[in-house]
Amino acid sequence: MDLKDFSKNLRRIDFILIMVLILILTIGFLMVKSATNTINGGLETSKQIRWILIGIPILILFSLVDYHRLKNYSVFLYLVNLGFLISVYIFGQSALGAQRRIPLGSFVFQPSEFAKIILIITLAAFLSERKGKITKISDVLLAGLHIAVPWILIFHQPDLGTAMVLIAILFGMLLVAGTESKYLIGLIFIGIIGIVLIFNFNVLKDYQMKRLLVFVNPDMDPLGAGYNLLQSKIAIGSGRFWGKGLFSGTQSRLNFIPEHHTDFIFSVLGEELGFAGAFSLVVLYFVLITRGLRIGSLSKDIFGTLIAAGIVSMLLFQIFVNIGMTVGLMPITGIPLPFVSYGGSSMFANMMGIGLLLNVYMRRFK
Amino acid sequence: MKPIETTQKRLAFFTIFMVIVFSIILVRLWFLQVIEGETYAKIAEENRIRLVAIPALRGVIYDRNKNILVDNKASLAVSFTPGKKRGDIEVINRLSQILGMSVSEIEAKINENKSDPLAPKIIKSNLDEKTVAFIKEHQIDLPGVNIETESVRDYPNGITAAQILGYLGEISESELKEREYSSYVLGDIIGKTGIEKQYESFLAGEKGGQQLEVDASGSPIRILSNKDPVPGHSVMLTIDKSIQQAAEQALIDAINVSHKQKYPKAQAGAAVVLDVRNGEVIALASYPTYDPTYFSGGRISFAKWQSLNSKSSNYPLRNRATMSSYPPGSTFKPIVGLGALAEGITTPTKGYLCTGRWYGLGQKWAKNCWKKGGHGKLNFNRGVIVSCDTVFYEIAYRVQKKGGEKLQLWARNFGLGSETGVDLPFEVSGRVPDKAWKKEWNKNNPRNQAWVPGDTVNMAIGQGDLLVTPLQLTNAYAAIANGGTLFKPKIAKNVLSFEGQVSYQFKPEEIKKLPLNSATLKVMQDDLEKVTKEGTATNAFVDFPIPVAGKTGTAQVKGKDDFAWFVGYAPANKPEYAVLVMVEQGGHGASVAAPAVRQIIGTIYNVDIAKLKAPSFVDFSR
Repeated sequence: MDLKDFSKNLRRIDFILIMVLILILTIGFLMVKSATNTINGGLETSKQIRWILIGIPILILFSLVDYHRLKNYSVFLYLVNLGFLISVYIFGQSALGAQRRIPLGSFVFQPSEFAKIILIITLAAFLSERKGKITKISDVLLAGLHIAVPWILIFHQPDLGTAMVLIAILFGMLLVAGTESKYLIGLIFIGIIGIVLIFNFNVLKDYQMKRLLVFVNPDMDPLGAGYNLLQSKIAIGSGRFWGKGLFSGTQSRLNFIPEHHTDFIFSVLGEELGFAGAFSLVVLYFVLITRGLRIGSLSKDIFGTLIAAGIVSMLLFQIFVNIGMTVGLMPITGIPLPFVSYGGSSMFANMMGIGLLLNVYMRRFK
Repeated sequence: MKPIETTQKRLAFFTIFMVIVFSIILVRLWFLQVIEGETYAKIAEENRIRLVAIPALRGVIYDRNKNILVDNKASLAVSFTPGKKRGDIEVINRLSQILGMSVSEIEAKINENKSDPLAPKIIKSNLDEKTVAFIKEHQIDLPGVNIETESVRDYPNGITAAQILGYLGEISESELKEREYSSYVLGDIIGKTGIEKQYESFLAGEKGGQQLEVDASGSPIRILSNKDPVPGHSVMLTIDKSIQQAAEQALIDAINVSHKQKYPKAQAGAAVVLDVRNGEVIALASYPTYDPTYFSGGRISFAKWQSLNSKSSNYPLRNRATMSSYPPGSTFKPIVGLGALAEGITTPTKGYLCTGRWYGLGQKWAKNCWKKGGHGKLNFNRGVIVSCDTVFYEIAYRVQKKGGEKLQLWARNFGLGSETGVDLPFEVSGRVPDKAWKKEWNKNNPRNQAWVPGDTVNMAIGQGDLLVTPLQLTNAYAAIANGGTLFKPKIAKNVLSFEGQVSYQFKPEEIKKLPLNSATLKVMQDDLEKVTKEGTATNAFVDFPIPVAGKTGTAQVKGKDDFAWFVGYAPANKPEYAVLVMVEQGGHGASVAAPAVRQIIGTIYNVDIAKLKAPSFVDFSR
């Protein structure tokens, strides 16, 4: 990568995507500030700034290194990924009954967040060999196996949210990779059976089970497990059209919304910025995803398309499940809202994702 | 190699899928925030704002000399604010261990006040310092638990005047429906009996309130608005603390005397002191009594409440002077006598013959005088002084013959059969039996509906169906003493502002002037004075320096021992106070009730009873 190359690439950057990202990050930062200014005197706010500032070079790094090179290291990346996920079980620190994180100084490393990005790369490498058409069942099964090993490690932590994201990534990438419809329908069918089995064999922890049941019947336990959902809906609903104003949400300020700077950050936004603010953020995400899909479409090779498809699947699924859970469309699972929820690991992973998208976009003419 | 056509198609499909996903989110947001927004906004406000009442300081109750009878004191209580999400059960379990209460007891307290399920609830009052210190030290493990200072009633004189003062309690659902409690809410503490109830509107003051912003755990964050409570007014009673205490002690002593005189069933009684000049209640005692601190803070344990209302406790909460009625026995004779004089049925000097047995209603219906062998020849005056039944049988016989229910008329003239109107709740009216009453009373017993001459004769000596309250009878004697004015007894003297200024003064109220001329009254006054000098109460008042006029009574109650009465007034020549003592199943009025009255009058006029000759009783007269 010489300097000429660099300046040429820079001119080919997707500025709309960058602008949208900056806007989303700004909204996210303001929401984290609003959600935390009453609790720890803004400790999270300064940390979030740090995550964004560290995230930018990570994004640039992931956009500069030619993504084609990654293909050659895919076996190595896959093994490193498994190594990280296993290390959680050795050095892991448990939070809320789940073993997910490894503390590294002030930063708490969460390998499952990065596992998503690495798996998108390795799976894209694997599927791109099939030249855009997957007709053999063995290929589908191999792709499934590719995801299955890290999936089990993540699910067992337990990190139900990320495990679900992995399945969304697998499905999105298989779709774009040209898998025959019958296999995709079969996959959906297997997914449904899987959910039924999970319910029947007590694979889930108690709290996970409760959250899912409450989703089916929110009035089951309004002061217990249904409390989070109810308070979140009250927060968002009470924002009405224009919101209560930034930093003026009573539901978040008075701690009625749980986890309001992480998983339920959208509730804070809905309350303080109203439908107008929520609509704006959703539209920004829409543009972000649209740009991602466009990059997939413009990619000069199937490997780039599949990477874009994976990133887009990951982001879309996370956005939908996170917002969906705050408005009662989805059960409560610990999935952060990309670029908005407080947290280092997810910020870095999502930055990597955008970096890869830019990477693919910049090299579309080569 | 450029992606092939299939890939583009798949990406297009993906785009459509994405558009659907975002549309679902936006529709849902529109529904929540725009269509249902108002509803959620209201819920959010209810979430964060709590109205907290600030109780007003209750007024003090004083006696007539401004001695404090009831005051307030600060007491530490533990409260619990139910949270919306935290582990309440664990906290309740811990509290249960700390306070030594069962979990279900605590939960009952928490669920008591249904109007605001998330308001702080008092779990236990009157905490000791050790418990307070422990809770404060372990505050972190007890979210929602607070130590609160509440103001509770304090009784510096212990049990003195307990039934007059009354007690506090939580307002009941039925009381809430009454108009006088229209500004109250469930959970409010109100006066339930006595002066606390009677003058609730003065004593209670006005509650203040705060609008608080609270967080999810129910902890207040800031005050949004504030209204200070207005302290209640104080009430000064006409009661004299030392005379009240003397009356209470006299009752206890009288009951002991009864026991010594082989009346072991004597366990209850009442004593009354009225100012005959204006109807002020100077003392109103009832025995047995109770410790008002059981009700301190308006909360009493269920077990204690049950024990106070059980038959074995003899109902100590009841003020027997106003809430119970009894046959008056011979104490009714002066009223009969005055009526007979006024109606011309007898004259002071009219002669009678008492043989101990009276056959006025025929051989079959012969009646006895209490004195076996009779009083011999005697006039009306003498008949009152020695309480001769025969004289009053004769009078009743004449009254009956004359018709017109004159005995009832005169009983009612003296205020019997209706409430005196004293400013105390739950007063009963007693009973003056007449034809109409008897018919109604026996409506299921047709053979017993007719009023017979025997009924009038029985009534004339205070027996039969006549029932009076101790206060009614004292008031009637006060009217005899003061020259014929029947006052409405008054127990509140005035109302004082929080600063101590008199803001309202109660005035003596006359019910009526008795239709008696002073000459007729003088006859009875002289006779009553002689009762303590040469009549039935001679022994009780021997050597007593204050001239006392009065009448003994020994009322018979079917299935029970006799009820002992004495009612009179002093000084006989210039009456100031009417005094009554009644002991249920106490035996004889002359030997039990009369000495108790002497004891009370002795206290009023600073007579050292101990230096007097102890009364000796040979004559167990009525």
